[in-house]
Order: sequence, then structure tokens, then C-alpha cells
Amino acid sequence: MTTTSRENILARVRTALQTHPPVERPPAPEVWPSTGPTTEQLVEQFTCELEAVSGELIRCGSMAEARRKLAELAERSDWRTLGAVDCRLCRELAADVPAERITWTHDGWDANEMAELSVGLVAAEMLLADTGTCVVANDTAEQRLMCYLPPACVVVATVEQLVEHMPAGWAEIARRTAQPDRRGEFVLITGPSRTADIEKILILGVHGPKQLVVVLI
Amino acid sequence: MTTENLHLEGAPFLKEQNRGLYEPAGPKATYEAAVRSTENNREITDAIPYWQDWRNAAEQIKTFAVANLDKLLVQFEQNITARGATVLWAETAEEANRLVLDIARRHNVKTVVKGKSMVSEEMELNHAFQSAGIRAMETDLGEYIVQLAGQRPTHIVTPALHLSAEDVGKLFEEKLGEPFSAEHEHLTNIARRHLREEYLKADMGMSGCNFAVADTGTLAVVENEGNVGLSTSTPPVHVALVGIEKMLPSIDYLPVFLNLLARVGTGQKLTSYTHLIHGATPGKELYVILLDNGRTKILQDPAARKALTCIRCGMCLNVCPVYRRVGGWAYGWVYPGPIGSIITPHLVGLKQAGTLPFASSLCGACSEVCPVKVDISHQLVHLRHRAVNEPSPANSLIDRITWNVWAWAMCGPVRYSLAAWAMRVGMRIIGLVPRSLHVDKLRAWTRGRELPPLSGPAFRTRWMRRRTDRKVAELRKDVCGSCCAACGLAKQKKNESNRP
Repeated sequence: MTTTSRENILARVRTALQTHPPVERPPAPEVWPSTGPTTEQLVEQFTCELEAVSGELIRCGSMAEARRKLAELAERSDWRTLGAVDCRLCRELAADVPAERITWTHDGWDANEMAELSVGLVAAEMLLADTGTCVVANDTAEQRLMCYLPPACVVVATVEQLVEHMPAGWAEIARRTAQPDRRGEFVLITGPSRTADIEKILILGVHGPKQLVVVLI
Repeated sequence: MTTENLHLEGAPFLKEQNRGLYEPAGPKATYEAAVRSTENNREITDAIPYWQDWRNAAEQIKTFAVANLDKLLVQFEQNITARGATVLWAETAEEANRLVLDIARRHNVKTVVKGKSMVSEEMELNHAFQSAGIRAMETDLGEYIVQLAGQRPTHIVTPALHLSAEDVGKLFEEKLGEPFSAEHEHLTNIARRHLREEYLKADMGMSGCNFAVADTGTLAVVENEGNVGLSTSTPPVHVALVGIEKMLPSIDYLPVFLNLLARVGTGQKLTSYTHLIHGATPGKELYVILLDNGRTKILQDPAARKALTCIRCGMCLNVCPVYRRVGGWAYGWVYPGPIGSIITPHLVGLKQAGTLPFASSLCGACSEVCPVKVDISHQLVHLRHRAVNEPSPANSLIDRITWNVWAWAMCGPVRYSLAAWAMRVGMRIIGLVPRSLHVDKLRAWTRGRELPPLSGPAFRTRWMRRRTDRKVAELRKDVCGSCCAACGLAKQKKNESNRP
């Protein structure tokens, strides 16, 4: 049935387009020019933008410091259970977390259990300095849920992953998106979940996490 | 007002407009929120030195996409199918509903969570679910509110724009049994708590799509609340509803649109979540439904096809002086505001929506802010032209008579004076008729407004009188020269008394 619908729609589109003048393929716009900032400037800009969207940044000189600060934060925020995406960066960061308090993403993990977690730990592929954005690749549903389901989200990233802005990092995102075996999603996370649906007044934490912490190493 | 009453029937604009105007909190809340939104968005777009370059680029890319729509649709289908998705095509809303219900039956679906989708509003999908005995919950806070209230969205980005926090508090008290509160954070938390359960037990999740990228087979969906993320990853089945005009040729073009849309739609640099979904995750199903539902009709009209480049940012609604006052329902269908006035007549036909192109002051504010430079004002004029020449409510017998009389009267000074005189007399007579006897368009006007008699005297009369006065003055000058202060004084007084 839909095969004919498909043919009908395409036929109508083609007939309608007969009167359309030819249009040359436009070049991809530059969007933002590159200014070649230093790493220090990038970190500063990222921090500033992340705070502007109500995210928190924890900057650490080393992985050891990051582990210590994560433990402090967990203590302070009373995070009892941690869910984490099973990847190298997350494994390294959570090396000190007692095994009974952490669960790693695995196939068939029940979403009801995941919803009980205090915090989800994910690793970023890239950070965009000019908007305070974390680019996260989620290949599986469990990884995706780790970003949205727990009430707090911790994103871990290293300073080499910082790029100036979206266009600067886009070639890499486009390359990886084009890989035919890629599944799931890339998600660009800019601050915690928010809404302004009632009277255009901004409120943080609707359905997704209320708190977003970026651990930058 | 229930969704039931909101089916489009006959001249919707005039019909619904009055209702909108007499909603006590509605128009005020709409006005204030629309103004606030415009100011926020202006501030953020004014700060971008490249804003006009982006708009130009976006316009070119979208025009290219529309010109190659057939190829892009096929390419998109191939690429997303290769990533494990199933693509289905629907010519009409009914067919799309059928497809969704088939999928639901196949997967034994009892409950559905829905991310925000204007296409699903177009399909009246919630109705279809209800008839099939499937529980479907809207998860976007604004959509959730209007769904609970049994209403339709009044805005394409912020659906509950017309409701104040107090209204929402009362609604939650009534429908959810929550203690009353008008505090934004508290209300948001209530929705969070109730919808959490829905995500976890849902068998199917639905979303719309902002951009469908043909060369990679990617669905780009932007959101702020995290509800799209949850709706598309928690349940085992994800169905994405995509209008066929959403195609973008290449992933390389996406950054300019993401940068534009967030700023102009919600006044953010980027929304909290921008999802680039490429295919189903392991163990889950992804269906993509490509919907025509009249879009190819827009494509057929060379003067209108640019309307297909719209990215549904909602900015033209916010700046529109008409929308701000009458609210979204006045437009009688899913898409309100200036963009609704130019696409609804195509999608549902001029016969039903022929008055919509007249629901504008043609001030051009919409065209000025449109991020993809849709020539909305020109299209409104184009559609007005079509509406008065094709079968439509704007081409009724009474309209034709009125405009023919008008055209006749404007073609000569004597005819004009005659018509003006008739008008003056007519207005006096109408003034004597009790309001309860007013019908149709007259009633639409006099329900909430005065119909004062024309003020006089007419310009032509005053002009003639002035000329006579001048002649008299000149005569006097001949008699007593320029020395007579009394004459000057008398003339000045006379002029003052002539002023209305």
C-alpha cells in the first residue's frame, strides 16, 4: 500500500518540480570564522558558556584529581548509586568508586532500574567552547538513557576534546555520522533539561536531568 | 474549548477570532509571552554579526532542497533504511494514522509517549489513538498541559502560550488532583513526576523531526526538556513523523540551521538537547513516516513553494500584531500566525481557509524576521488574489457585490460622492437597529466594538468651503487692505470652529 503511496508522492513531486527553475548547489556556509584561540581561552570560554546555561564545570589537572573531586561531589550531593557508560574515560574516572555503588551499561538493562540511579556518568566526544556544549555519542539505548534518565548527569572530557565552535568540530561529527555502520545518536547537550512552556519563564529540570556537571581533565 | 469543536469549518478566521478575543486570560497571556519571546530572541540575534549571511545561506540551501526534493527523499530513504529503519510513506493524514496504528498493533502497543510534533497535530493522531483504545501521552510540558485541558496548541513552539501559571495550577488541581499552586517550578515538578511513570511503561515512543539529512540518513531533532530523548530511547519502538519538506541535502549544511533555529525559536545559542539520530539502536525498532498531506500542492504553485522552506521556528507568530491579539485558535487549524495563513489554505483548501490570507495587516514583520526568508507578505497577497478568483469564502456573492460596487464608486467624483452619501445614511440606519439583530460580519464587528457614524463634514466639503473662505478673504483684502486686524481675527476663529 505504501509502495504506491511512495510512487504517488514522488510522481507529484516530480510533476510539480518541472516548473521549478534549476538551482545551483550552494556551498556549505562557514557559519563562524575560526580565530585560532589558545587552549586557555577555550577553557575560559567553555566555562563561561556552560555556567550561562546553568551547567557546572569541575576542572582537574589530572585523572587522580578528577577522581578525588568526583568523590567529593558525590559526597556533597548525596549520590548513592552511579550508572556509567562502559568506556575507557568513564572507567578511568570511576576507578575508585566502590563496585556496589556503580553499575556499568549493559544489554537489556531495565529502564526502571536506571531511573532509580542518583547520577549517570557519560563521556564526551567533543566539547564546543562557544556554546558550552558536550557532544556525546550514544550507540545503544542504555547509553542514551544514561544521559536523560537519572536526575543528574556527569560528562567527562579531556581538554584536547575542546574545539572553538560547532563548525570547527563539524568535519569530525559529519565524518562519523556518515559511517554506514553507525547506530544510535549523537547528542549535543547544552546545559541541563529546561522548559519555558509556562509563561515563557525558564525552569530547570523537566524530564531530563536537573543538574549537569562537566569534569574537564 | 475541546479539540472536537476546533475542526475547520467555513470561514475560520472570523469565526474563531471572536472566541479568542473573549477568552478572559487567553489573549493577555499570549500577548505578554509573545512580546517577551520576541524581545529575548531579538537580543540574541542582534548580537550575531553574521545573522543576515546565515539567513541568506539558509534560504539558498532550503531552496536547493525543495528544487531537488524527489532525489533527496529517495536518498534519505535509502540511507536511513541501510541503518535499520523502516521508511513508510503516507499521502494523507488518514493514511499516516493508519500506518501508525498498524505499527502499534504489530508491536502490541498499549501506551504511547509522544515528543512534540506538529505533524501529529496535523494528523490528529491523539484522536486516532483514542479511537483505537491506545493511551497516548504528550510529554512536552506545553503539549501535556493542552492535552490535559482538552485543547489545541495555540503556538507551534510553546503550545500553552495562552495559559497563565494560575490556569495551569487550576488544571493540575482538577485533572491530576494536585494541590493548587501557581509557582512555575512546582508545576514543572508535578509534570515531571507524572510523566516519569509514563516513559517507563510506554510501549512506543513518537517524535517529530526538525531536519532530515538525506546524504547520511540522519534525523535531527532539537528539544529542551529531555522528553524527546526519553520518548525515543525508553520504549522498544520509536516512530518519527516527518513532513516531506524537512529534507536537507547534506550533513554539512546542518550547523547553520541549528544555529539559526535555536536562536530564533527559543532565544538560545543551542537548545539543551540536539539529537542527531542515525538509525535504530540495537534491539529497538525505528520507523520513519514521510507525510505529504497537501505539501505537494504547495510545491505545484510556483508563487507558494517557498513556504515549504519553513523550519517552524514560530518567530513569525511572536512578532505578528494580529497573532498577538487573537491567539492561535483564531486561525482555525494546526498552524497559526502568518505561516499558518500561507500554508493552511494550501493544505486544507481555499474553500475552507480562504479568509486566512486576509487575517494580516501586511506589515511585513514576519518576512523581516523569518530565518529562511520566506516571503510571507507576498504570499499573503498572492493567496488573497487566488481567494477572490477561486471558490472560497472571500469569493462569496456578497463579497463580489460589495467589491464591484466599491470599484464602480471609486471611478468618478460624482459616483464617489453618491456612495459616500449612501454610506453616511446607511451607517445612521444601522445605528438605529438593535444589536441583537446584527448578523454575520456586522455582528462580528459590533459584538465588541462601536460602530460610530462617519464623522463629518467630508474632506471634499471642507475643501470646497476652504476655497470659498479664501475667496471671501481675498475680496475683503481688496476692500480694506491688509490693515484690518478684526477681519484676520474673525477668519482665525472661523477656521478653528471648522476643525473637527
